[in-house]
Amino acid sequence: MTPNGAIVFGAATILATVTSGGYGLALLYTLVAIFSLIEVGPRCAGGLKRAVIVMAPLAAFMLVIWVGVVGRSPSEIATGVEGSRHSALLYVAVVSARLFLIVFLVQAVVMRFDDRTPLSFVRVLNMPSAAKRLIILTLSLIETLRNSVDRSHTALVSAGVVTRGISLRNVGSGWILVQTVWLTAITTVTARMRDKWPVENTLALLGPALDGSEKGLSVRDIVWAALAVMAAIAGYYLSWRYA
Amino acid sequence: MFTTQRLIVIALCAALNFSIGSIVYLVKLPIYMDSVGTMLCAMLIWPDRKAAFVCCLISSLISTLFTGLLVNPFLPWFVGTDLVIALCAAFVTANFGDTFRARPMQPVMFGSRVLIAGIVTGVVAAIVSAPVVVYLFGGVTGSGSAFLVAFFLKTGEQLWKAVLLSGLTADPVDKTLQVLVSALLFRATPSDFIAMVRGSTPARA
Repeated sequence: MTPNGAIVFGAATILATVTSGGYGLALLYTLVAIFSLIEVGPRCAGGLKRAVIVMAPLAAFMLVIWVGVVGRSPSEIATGVEGSRHSALLYVAVVSARLFLIVFLVQAVVMRFDDRTPLSFVRVLNMPSAAKRLIILTLSLIETLRNSVDRSHTALVSAGVVTRGISLRNVGSGWILVQTVWLTAITTVTARMRDKWPVENTLALLGPALDGSEKGLSVRDIVWAALAVMAAIAGYYLSWRYA
Repeated sequence: MFTTQRLIVIALCAALNFSIGSIVYLVKLPIYMDSVGTMLCAMLIWPDRKAAFVCCLISSLISTLFTGLLVNPFLPWFVGTDLVIALCAAFVTANFGDTFRARPMQPVMFGSRVLIAGIVTGVVAAIVSAPVVVYLFGGVTGSGSAFLVAFFLKTGEQLWKAVLLSGLTADPVDKTLQVLVSALLFRATPSDFIAMVRGSTPARA
């Protein structure tokens, strides 16, 4: 499977997930399970764990809001009937199931290509060169911001402006930390643009480095994409038939 | 349109949106704080309004993509909101850039312009977000503003009205805070960096 094929499959399945009801979702769960077992193998358990970590607090949050506080489902509110916590629970279950499937699918697609670096993954994507540059630069600058947070935090702790633990001083000096992080990031970026990158010719080399060759869809990609479309249509039909 | 300096600013502001937005989402505050970078991007690239709009929209879309994939699966459905926030950032907030950088600071002018930009952006964002929240998610997303929706539903309001009221309550406050943070960061940004981004100082890159 190629990265382009994985993205087509992922996008088709996510769109199907959003439009499907209970039966459609069951079909899509089956498809994604087969996909992850064939393409990722036993390692997909890691993706499952990550999806649980992302979704469990979100589902709990929605349970508190819908079942705990509101006590009715949105459709009951729309039609003005009294409603019940049971239907609110059912509603939260369907929404959470949809989101869980999306999060797990994204994890499975990422894990399918975890032997590649972000640069080599983006390199083969079928998109304009400027878009690839932007994605790579953003990933790089997210790391720069993380480093800036570490540096600024350490510097301000050393200077006694903030403390490592929770304290009132941190509340008062929080804004100084935010400004320091921003200025550290700006200084790093300015130094790169003015000095480092011209010396290393980084930006000129980035163009050819992102110009990949593996851009078409393989037969395997087309099969997965077709299965996703078929599952979407079948799911939509089943949801409509048994609604 | 896409000079190297602008590409760097887009990526930097997308990274800023991602970092702040993710933290606020995970803490479940009834605000979002995921467009500080978008507003800052518009102010850094201004006075070329068209470029400011396109660049801040792209930075917003990139951060939405990353946050949606990694942290908040609700977010990618709000690209329409990204669009109107970028429009407001480029055509309203960025106009006040000179006031935000004025030295010494003029607190009344500074505060009033932060309020104007924040309220305009907040009201527009609330109106554009409401149909997505109602039709796609039935009124509740994973952000802390869901508490407000629940509160309005409990007071007997209909779903549409509850979502809109929640948006009109939380969004202007959230966007005013975001304009304030981005204005203060813009104020703290070194002049030579801004000159480099706007192309008044040729960079060697």
